[in-house]
Amino acid sequence: MPIGPIIRAMKHNRTRFALIILEIAITLAIVTNCVNMILAQRAQMVKTSGFDDDNLLYMIATPFAPEFKETPYVENVVNADVRAIRAIPGVKTATVTGFLPWQGGGSSGSFKTEGYPDKFQAQFYAARGDLVGTLGGKISHGRAFRENDTPVDPDTSTTVTIISSGLAKKLWGDKDPIGRVITTGDGDRPRTVVGVIDKFYNPYAWKIEELVLFTPGRSYDGGGSTYLIRTEPGAAKAVAQQLEPALVKVNAGRVFRLLTIPEVKANLFSSNMLVIRAMSAVIVVLVFITALGILGITSLAVSERTKQIGTRRALGATKNDILKHFLTENWIVTTIGLILGVIATYALNYFLVSQLTDTKMPWYLVGVGMVLLWLNGLVATIPPALRAASVSPAIATRTV
Amino acid sequence: MFLYNIRIGLKSLRRNPVLTALLIGAIALGICVSTSFIALRRIFEKDPLPGKSQNLFYVRLDNWDPTRAYNADDPKSLPNMITYRDMRALMKSDIPTRQSGMYVARMFAHPDPKIGRPFSVNIRMAFSDFFPMFDIPFRYGSGWDKAADAKPEQVIVIDEAMNQKMFGGGNSVGRTIRLDERNYKIVGVIGNWKPAFRYYDITSGGGGAPEGVFMPFNFTPVLQMNTAANSDGWKGQAEPTYESFLDSEQTWIEYWAELPTTAKQQAFRDYATNYIRDQKKLGRFPRPLHIEVKSMPDLFTEFQVVPPTIKSMSVVSLLFLIVCSLNLVGLLLGKFLARIPEVSVRRALGASRFQVFWQHVVECELVGIVGGALGLLLSIGVLQLIAKSIPQNQVRIGLDGEMVFVSIFLSLVAGLLAGIYPSWRVCSVAPAMQLKVQ
Repeated sequence: MPIGPIIRAMKHNRTRFALIILEIAITLAIVTNCVNMILAQRAQMVKTSGFDDDNLLYMIATPFAPEFKETPYVENVVNADVRAIRAIPGVKTATVTGFLPWQGGGSSGSFKTEGYPDKFQAQFYAARGDLVGTLGGKISHGRAFRENDTPVDPDTSTTVTIISSGLAKKLWGDKDPIGRVITTGDGDRPRTVVGVIDKFYNPYAWKIEELVLFTPGRSYDGGGSTYLIRTEPGAAKAVAQQLEPALVKVNAGRVFRLLTIPEVKANLFSSNMLVIRAMSAVIVVLVFITALGILGITSLAVSERTKQIGTRRALGATKNDILKHFLTENWIVTTIGLILGVIATYALNYFLVSQLTDTKMPWYLVGVGMVLLWLNGLVATIPPALRAASVSPAIATRTV
Repeated sequence: MFLYNIRIGLKSLRRNPVLTALLIGAIALGICVSTSFIALRRIFEKDPLPGKSQNLFYVRLDNWDPTRAYNADDPKSLPNMITYRDMRALMKSDIPTRQSGMYVARMFAHPDPKIGRPFSVNIRMAFSDFFPMFDIPFRYGSGWDKAADAKPEQVIVIDEAMNQKMFGGGNSVGRTIRLDERNYKIVGVIGNWKPAFRYYDITSGGGGAPEGVFMPFNFTPVLQMNTAANSDGWKGQAEPTYESFLDSEQTWIEYWAELPTTAKQQAFRDYATNYIRDQKKLGRFPRPLHIEVKSMPDLFTEFQVVPPTIKSMSVVSLLFLIVCSLNLVGLLLGKFLARIPEVSVRRALGASRFQVFWQHVVECELVGIVGGALGLLLSIGVLQLIAKSIPQNQVRIGLDGEMVFVSIFLSLVAGLLAGIYPSWRVCSVAPAMQLKVQ
């Protein structure tokens, strides 16, 4: 296929090709930067908590009855609640804890330990009962909480703690964490490490999403209580319906709010999902529009050149030659557009990174984008090129 | 002449409906995408208190741990909120024209048992200055006065939703609501007030609707209340009592001051600085002296009220509109060039170059207007979809008059930019050329 004549023919239609080139360049810049944004958003979402998220429920009981000001009264109700929850068919385990996975926060504190030079910040939750089992996590060292771990008053007595493997690693590297003591930032309330959770991830500011201390204890604020419930696989829905009636039967002086962990997670990531959806829609529509543009402009080129095509056919060019002519023409245009597009992509990315704290563009994305748009250009050219190929040589003899 | 051009334009557009649909579709999509994202951005960017926000200052004091900054990674960071005792001290100053410490609490509202079960409500604890300071509009009644602050009197202000829920709407000033164990008299019902975010509560993220109930701050020690929002501390309290908690280094109060002149701003900074110097003598504020008195717009920037991704999306959406316009140029070029024989006849019959040019630009603008209107309608749908995909969304995400104007302006510009080159090409045809060929 001689390229020379094609390029000479293209020179007659500079504006038109310049339009396609610009369109393709900007399209590449937008598509790759959108995909980049999507990947950045997804990166936050694909982390796993290490828990049995799909089968976890979280029940918040907030009392309004004045009796809940008395601690023994609350104790009794909470114990009865746990018994009632465990009696619901489909419930595997339940625990009293303020820890709600995927909440996008929680509670944290400042702590100290021997062997680690600074104070450190870590997530900190009280839990009662089989917390690790309820989360569906694994104890990699040591043991889970026992019933008699629960102190009478967690504010004054020495107690035990279960920490995440991430925290153990940060504090002591590969040394055995069991038996080491962690205190509060003031050096009070020593807690002995008795167990390590294999994997823990809960999004939190200050980069402490993998650092946690659990202590046995109560976590009821103003007489309220919160329960984490793990159900048999697939039973979450059925259990969810029975929870409130069961707890109302225990004590009606409160209101309840039920959360499923998938819901909590969807809530946390709603803005990520929004960006992903919006950007995906932009990409699809944009690629479609660019294809339409190429199709439209090439169609016009074909109908304008009908006479020349007929002449070429009459002079012995095969249908294939005509087809190839238009495809080559388009290939040249698309390729120039894509080369400009790479520059535009990095320029836009540079702008977004400098102005708006976006992530840098990985090179492979640009490659994938180029292939996609190149194919897109090819597909959009085929219909008008086929139409050009079917121009009859006899056309050349008509008109004029 | 203009009407004539419009008529010709419509005629020409009707001649090739498929092409016309493509032209209009391209503009409509471009306008829809750009309008939606720009509207989304503007919802966060719009000044909630025009002409006033730069006079409202949020105050932070670094009372944190001597060995570690509030954010350990950033030695310049300081707590987002201040302590109860520091707020009390700042409130003693008479420099601000208005000021209020505040936080959010949670209580149970007990409606008439016939209406429903008790439910939990968020309550903003604030001083009387809160309402005029943040321009809160009232439907009935007003905020409480300084006497009610001082006592504190058992009065509250509620919003429309709460008024609806408790009383089914209407003027409920003078009626009472039981919150936890006490009855509070309603002095004001807030009217049409739907800010895009709680602009007075940025340090907590500000997402969601304002609280349903507002109560005099001074009930805090009376009822021994706690915050329902964040509370950060680095030092335990001395005694396990509520008094000791109020005296502790725990930061949980947001404090705003209205300082309308630079002189007042400087005076207030000096006041705060002197206060901290005094406190340092008592052994408090162990870190280097650091206070931040930041205006509302600056605070918004620091806390990234406009999510960076939304900024990115609005930039991308404008580029999207450019692609649509380029597309339009190509299609219009083809359409107009096919019309050259007709145009050269008109030119030969005496139409000036400008008349031909103008006629084609009008046709392009027709496409721009129709496409823009369509895009505007589409973007209303898109924004509703976006609003629905944000769980617990309270913000009215939609188009305001200004946005409609921007959008129409954008579509006119797109139509013009896309039309100028093809119109110029077609008007520069020599009159006789085409006549000869025919």
